Amino acid sequence: MTLWHRFRSWLRGTFQRSRIEREMDAELRFHIDAYADDLVRAGVPREEAVRRARIEFGGIEKTKEECREARALSWLGQLWRDIRFGLRLLMKSPGFTATAIIALALGIGADTAMYTIVNGALSWDLGLDNRDQIVMVRSSDLRRGENWGVSYPDFRDLRAQVKSLAGLAAYQLVPVNVSDESALPERYYCVQMSANGFSVVQHKPLLGRDFIPADEQPGAPPVLMLGYHVWRDRYGQDPDILGKTVRVDEVPRAVIGVMPPGRRFPEDTDLWVPLIPDAASEKRDSRELMLFGRLRDGVGVAKARTEVAALSGRLAAQYPDTNKDITADVRPIMEITGVYFMKPLFVALFVAVGSVLLIACADVANMLLGRAADRSREISIRMAIGAGRIPILRQLLLESLVLSVAGGFLGLLVAVGGLKWFDRGMGTETKPVWLHLSLDRNALFYLAAVSIGTGILFGLVPALRLLKTDIIAAMKDGGSGITGIKFGLWVSKALVSFQAALCVILLTGAGLMIRSAMNLYAAPLGVNPVDVLTMRINLPQAKYAKPESWIAFHENLQRRLQALPGIATAGAASQLPLGSWIPFGVEFEGAPNDSAEPPEVGGLIVSNNYFDMMQVQGQRGRLFSDSDGKAGPPVVIVNQAFAKKFWPGENALGKRIRTIEDDSKGPWLTVVGIVPDILQNFRELLKHDPLIYIPFAEKPERQMFLIARTEVPPATLSDTIRRELQEMDANLAAYEVYTLEDRIASHRLTVRLFGTICTVFAGVATALAAIGLYAVMLQAVSQRTQEIGLRMALGATRRDILALVFSLGIRPLLPGLIVGLFLALAASRVLRTLLLGVSSTDPVTFVGTVVVLLLAALIGCLVPARRATQVDPMVALRYE
Amino acid sequence: MDKQLELLQGTLDLLILKAISLGPFHGYGILLRIQQISKERLEIQQGSLYPALYRLEDQGLIASEWGESENNRKAKFYRLTAAGKRKLQSETENWERMVDVIAGVLRTTPEEV
Repeated sequence: MTLWHRFRSWLRGTFQRSRIEREMDAELRFHIDAYADDLVRAGVPREEAVRRARIEFGGIEKTKEECREARALSWLGQLWRDIRFGLRLLMKSPGFTATAIIALALGIGADTAMYTIVNGALSWDLGLDNRDQIVMVRSSDLRRGENWGVSYPDFRDLRAQVKSLAGLAAYQLVPVNVSDESALPERYYCVQMSANGFSVVQHKPLLGRDFIPADEQPGAPPVLMLGYHVWRDRYGQDPDILGKTVRVDEVPRAVIGVMPPGRRFPEDTDLWVPLIPDAASEKRDSRELMLFGRLRDGVGVAKARTEVAALSGRLAAQYPDTNKDITADVRPIMEITGVYFMKPLFVALFVAVGSVLLIACADVANMLLGRAADRSREISIRMAIGAGRIPILRQLLLESLVLSVAGGFLGLLVAVGGLKWFDRGMGTETKPVWLHLSLDRNALFYLAAVSIGTGILFGLVPALRLLKTDIIAAMKDGGSGITGIKFGLWVSKALVSFQAALCVILLTGAGLMIRSAMNLYAAPLGVNPVDVLTMRINLPQAKYAKPESWIAFHENLQRRLQALPGIATAGAASQLPLGSWIPFGVEFEGAPNDSAEPPEVGGLIVSNNYFDMMQVQGQRGRLFSDSDGKAGPPVVIVNQAFAKKFWPGENALGKRIRTIEDDSKGPWLTVVGIVPDILQNFRELLKHDPLIYIPFAEKPERQMFLIARTEVPPATLSDTIRRELQEMDANLAAYEVYTLEDRIASHRLTVRLFGTICTVFAGVATALAAIGLYAVMLQAVSQRTQEIGLRMALGATRRDILALVFSLGIRPLLPGLIVGLFLALAASRVLRTLLLGVSSTDPVTFVGTVVVLLLAALIGCLVPARRATQVDPMVALRYE
Repeated sequence: MDKQLELLQGTLDLLILKAISLGPFHGYGILLRIQQISKERLEIQQGSLYPALYRLEDQGLIASEWGESENNRKAKFYRLTAAGKRKLQSETENWERMVDVIAGVLRTTPEEV
């Protein structure tokens, strides 16, 4: 008897009831008629034959009933009966049903949405088929504990000697300008990679050929590999692309191939060119390259690490001048990606959202417990007349499953909506590649599993409690079995306590994030970001070889831009606020020349009108003038933090410093002014670091941000400025065109996003906890009606009764509150990296948490308390 | 005609399966076939046939379809499914072993114990 047969018969039984009945009638009538016909043929008169046929057949109705039963015996049929029974019961109390389903939908939906994000992030494979075998090799300085890349000569030696890797390749990421006749110049991420790169990760081009060793020889004809999306978007999937010439940073290169979709390793590469060593990169201490390799089959990371460390030890002995104290380390590629570092945060969020779901489950469990009290009589009667425990348990569980599956369906909407909302919250920013915001098959499986799992989880407690019902007692006093009630109340209180503990953890997390966000948005930036448009340009080596040409370009550009209508001032800076800086070592004039490392500070290269353009008032001394960097001694402006750190209590003006880069010392720079602190730190968004500002003409840079303060809405000018650039240099790409306000918002995005998520979770959790308490208290009050009536009869006032109910409500909360506070103290440490200007043990947050939770509890108790005061003592005492 | 035997508990299903294994029949035909091959020595309550048929169909051992009877009337015909054939075979073997065992037990004389 196959499942299919049963299923078919059940389907028929369920949906074709009337047809089955008709067929059964016809079949039985045929039998009787046929028998009667036979009797007639044997000589019995017709009337007598029919009579005898009916009698000998037996009771037709009884037969039919037995036939129906034969069918209904199948367990699927019974399952369906139980489900329908459950549905009918739930329909009878729509308030309870709606509350429970909404609570579950919120919990399940949020959980599924978070699962989608976390699962997407953690299963992201970087476009690799064998990501577990790919490792990164980096060198580090044993003495200083710093990490760097690897130099070309070291790479060559390692590649020749390493045994545990099936291949070792080197690359360097360089943003480039791409120009040709097919479209406007564009900015792309180009990877210079040793010719074996694709074979190390076992990628094959979609069109054309892989790099060959001849491509990486000095003087080889320049070639280029395109990423699929570049081929598609820029070249319209041109089938004749191979052999075409494309200018990459002014160098004409022949296209030799196109990679398949999704293959962008390493990093998010758009284009690949062969890495060709030159005189500069042949220096052993020029550690610019990133190395990746593939572990040989069966070789672990640990073994490769030992081998590479031994090899670099040998290099250190061989080349002590450059390689002393330098070692190389092997790490799995997954540990280098951003996702890996966010893992603890993901886990924290996942736990947080799981807690919301648990709170929702506890809610529904509590509501079911409340109903259980009313149903113990029904169950007792059913057990008394012989219903087995298992069928009753099954039926009760099915009822909660119906709830949780309904919650799951609604939760699907919550998850989709939540992800949409999250998507919008991210704004127009380019999203990280690992971010998946649509429900995939895994997420749907997860949703189904969670729905069914929660149904069993919150259904089991009340169901077991109902089975414990003392039948005799329940039947006798017409109420509920005593043992059951006690068990139920104990469980209810434990659930409330549990909810409180989870809420405290979520609320402290949210509180800390809210405080951080408030600090972040309250902190003065130091500049006026309104009406400022920014974009980046990078002057390529091939066309702009000498720094003088960079200065000339920027002077020309500034003049042309400021002539445009709508632009008040135009200038440039090496970095924008919240966008970090260039690290410089500094030396102070007159300071004892000890052997200690020179202190490192941040430096910004800015056009002379930078501070005017950013609307910064100088604090002391002067701002840059037009002649700085061209005539007179070189100058520098420092910020307040710099003056405070290095010259406390002294006059900084007139002092001289010089920058040290790679052991080459710059000219002495005279401090001519001190400016207020401007937020520049990219990681610690509230930190003021010591900074120096150097005029562009003194220390020109290839790659700069163009800045324009506008008199019209800044975004409207982006095309005008780009056209102006195009007229100056048809091959120059302007990229990352954003208003300064948008840039700053995107730097603050993480805090805002996590802050919002935490707040939403905590809000939902607290609301659910209040609902749970409400359900419990409502039940408690109805069970204590008699006691309350008695108290009132003995002279208790309204206030006494209110106090009684509130203390009943708060008391089970307290153990959870205390346990929760301790857990929160430990849990909030996870958030530490995200916190701004607030400690993870911030007392204000912790006190606030307690206040919010108690308020929620009071709200939850409000209606039950009101109901308690409305108890009529006479009615209550007569009750039962 | 000998006195009719009452059907042993649970044997009706086996008889139905056997009867249908000889070819598709409607309910009345199955009854006639059983009586014919048992030489009318078994007493079968006519009405009890149908719950048994429904049960067997629910278990997927037999399948039914509507067709024309010998005298051109609409009737429901039953036939054995593959599962039904296997069931009939295994049940037949069980029955024969059971008969052997029971017969052996009943034949036992005091000396043999």
